[in-house]
Amino acid sequence: MSDKGQFVDLTRAKQHTGVWLVKVPKYLSQQWAKAPGRGEVGKLKIGKAQGKTAVSFSLNEELTVVQCSGEKVSSVRSPREHPFTMQTVGGQTLAVFTETSDKLALEGMVVQRAECRPAVSESYMKLKKLQIEESTKPLRFSQKLEKAITTNYKPVSNHSHNVEYEKRKKEEGKRARADKQKVLEMLFSAFEKHQYYNIRDLVDITKQPVIYLKEILREIGVYNSRGPHKSTWELKPEYRHYEEGQEDEEEKIE
Amino acid sequence: MFSQVINGTSCSAVMTSLGSSSSSTTEYVVRVPKNTSKKYNIMAFNAGDKVSCSTWTQARMERDMSNRRIYGEEETQEGAAGSEFGKKQREEARRKKYGIVTKEFKVEDQPWILKVNGKAGRRFKGLKKGGVTENASYYIFTQCADGAFEAFPVHSWYNFTPQAKHRTLTAEEAEEEWGRRNKVVNHFSIMLQRRLRGQERGEEDEEEGEKGGKKKKKGGRGGDLRIHDLEDDLEMSSDESDGSNGDDDEAKSKAKKDKGPKGKGKKKKKKGSDLEGFEDSDDGDFEGLEVDYMSDESSSEEEEPEKTKPNKGEDVPKGIDEMSDSEEESEEENKNEEDGKEEEEEEDGKKTPVQVEKKKKKDSSGESDSSEDSDIEGEAASALFMKKRTPPKRGGGRGSAGSSRTGSRPGTPSIDNAATSNTLRAAANKLEQGKRQTTVPSSETPAAKRLKMEPSPQSSSGNGTPQPASGKSTPSSSDVLLTEDAVRRYLIRKPMTTKDLLKKFQTKRTGLSSEQTVNVLAQILKRLNPERKNINDKMHFYLTE
Repeated sequence: MSDKGQFVDLTRAKQHTGVWLVKVPKYLSQQWAKAPGRGEVGKLKIGKAQGKTAVSFSLNEELTVVQCSGEKVSSVRSPREHPFTMQTVGGQTLAVFTETSDKLALEGMVVQRAECRPAVSESYMKLKKLQIEESTKPLRFSQKLEKAITTNYKPVSNHSHNVEYEKRKKEEGKRARADKQKVLEMLFSAFEKHQYYNIRDLVDITKQPVIYLKEILREIGVYNSRGPHKSTWELKPEYRHYEEGQEDEEEKIE
Repeated sequence: MFSQVINGTSCSAVMTSLGSSSSSTTEYVVRVPKNTSKKYNIMAFNAGDKVSCSTWTQARMERDMSNRRIYGEEETQEGAAGSEFGKKQREEARRKKYGIVTKEFKVEDQPWILKVNGKAGRRFKGLKKGGVTENASYYIFTQCADGAFEAFPVHSWYNFTPQAKHRTLTAEEAEEEWGRRNKVVNHFSIMLQRRLRGQERGEEDEEEGEKGGKKKKKGGRGGDLRIHDLEDDLEMSSDESDGSNGDDDEAKSKAKKDKGPKGKGKKKKKKGSDLEGFEDSDDGDFEGLEVDYMSDESSSEEEEPEKTKPNKGEDVPKGIDEMSDSEEESEEENKNEEDGKEEEEEEDGKKTPVQVEKKKKKDSSGESDSSEDSDIEGEAASALFMKKRTPPKRGGGRGSAGSSRTGSRPGTPSIDNAATSNTLRAAANKLEQGKRQTTVPSSETPAAKRLKMEPSPQSSSGNGTPQPASGKSTPSSSDVLLTEDAVRRYLIRKPMTTKDLLKKFQTKRTGLSSEQTVNVLAQILKRLNPERKNINDKMHFYLTE
């Protein structure tokens, strides 16, 4: 049991790499997704002021453009300054592992947790307002139409679907009784594929009139009126052997 | 190098330091790489599990696909036997009609199974935590060689919990035990019984035989248990069980894991500790107990309390399944004791708990002379009844006395009853019986200290009859032999009466009946022809050499 599963690459874990886990607001991650080039999104400032560490992230200028849905031109910009609040890893031991299509690797341990908050400003408030407006819009809504739709439900002398059906029936014609032997062959090949068949399906397969087909079926098959396969036909026990080949079946027929 | 503080300026250089007396900031570039082939996930462990990735030498991880059969529709084989024409379409149409929506089986959402340090290491199960990426995104910031930070979005979060390697109760069993929680005092026997039940169902003779053979070796690790911290317990017992597991695997070619007896010969160690584990009971302890005078309930009641006795001192580490291993061992040793005691129990009347308790105390103090005594004591003390084992499997001298008794008492009550009875008084009773049994043969003459259990001598002698066969055949395994040499040694050391000599050669230890002992001793004395001296009006024998 322990032999299954792919190996997790522990090389980076051995190096005791420490990483930070940072919670970032949605709009910021959206902006980051738009980063051009090498992916530079901004700058992280780590400072020590009077003994306390202050970490802050400042977004690059070009990424502050917020793309909003609708016709509104983006007069709103996302804030640039985001101080981080640092938290301890505390009650959990967090490790980071990566998954590629073929490999699992352990990247390291989380040594610091942080939350990225925007510096509250006017532009941030406007951004938030926009977001709220968007989120309160219902996904489905009723819309009033100017004109009533009149193309449906018009009275027809004969529906197109019906016309087609009748034409098809005419073509096929009545089912003719074929040779008994041929029918038997068809039946046996059908029962090879599945054990239980509905009479309707057999009629479709063999294209025989129902009465004739039933006669033949009574010879070689049995009808299940009860049980899990209700109202289905199956071959008589002496005719079925589902693991063997077809030759035996033909022998049986003779 | 900047000598002045210039606020608000940011340099385009990667690293900047603004010199200041009270603050300094360094700037790092943050990059969010574009290549998305690597998916970052969080592996969260509980701090209490004390997981340290640096201790991992090897780790394997795979998805846990056990839910596939629930979610994924079972693909019954197409065609041939058992299939219907158009069944799939009909099933699909039916589901649509009733609006049944089956959740897809997504591999992405399946839990992980993490195995650390190979087969003997820890196993973890990692369940995906939902809702992580819904409202906020987590990023992993790593520092690169060039000092810049790279931020990778976290794809999913998995909470990893360690998986127990020890046996646990199933839900049904747990419910049962919960119902009995007020009655059951000995929690260690729970797992033992479960294992025995499983053995009953799927018994194989060879396993039984191996077990019987190993019985002697299995030291009662239950005796090692004292009142101590839960963690210590787990560590200690798991260590021991790991070690002993390995040993047992060598010895037994195929022992099913859940049936494999564990433990080595720690018997000696256990003996002493068994005694130490007993709590003192004050008079008031038994006040609230029911005193049951209905005889038909006696057998079931007595079984349980006896169980409780030896483990009174070990109440603290409850529900630790590792302990059950030791329990099993000690219990197997006691099985034969138990069987013998049971019959006495049924014959006796009831006593008040206090009386019984006192007697038990007295007896235990009286019996703890030698290690041998305490061995037997230990057997009597640890509770349990085992299901009757076939006598041949019980090898060894100690076992021989018991095995005969087992043989003669096929109708021992089943273990399951035991768990339901509860009076301590009955437990004490049973213990009393056992003590009585061992002390009886040593005091052949009607001793003044004979307790109320009158039938016990009779029953023990009655039991004794099948003994000779086994007793005689395996005298070598007992610790004391009734030989000329032994008698000579005693007599050389100091003068002894016949009574003293008999005391030295207790029937339990030699495997002989009281009659036989007397006969053999008489023969030996004739041969030795020791000198006689009258001390305190009693005839003493002694030898000078």
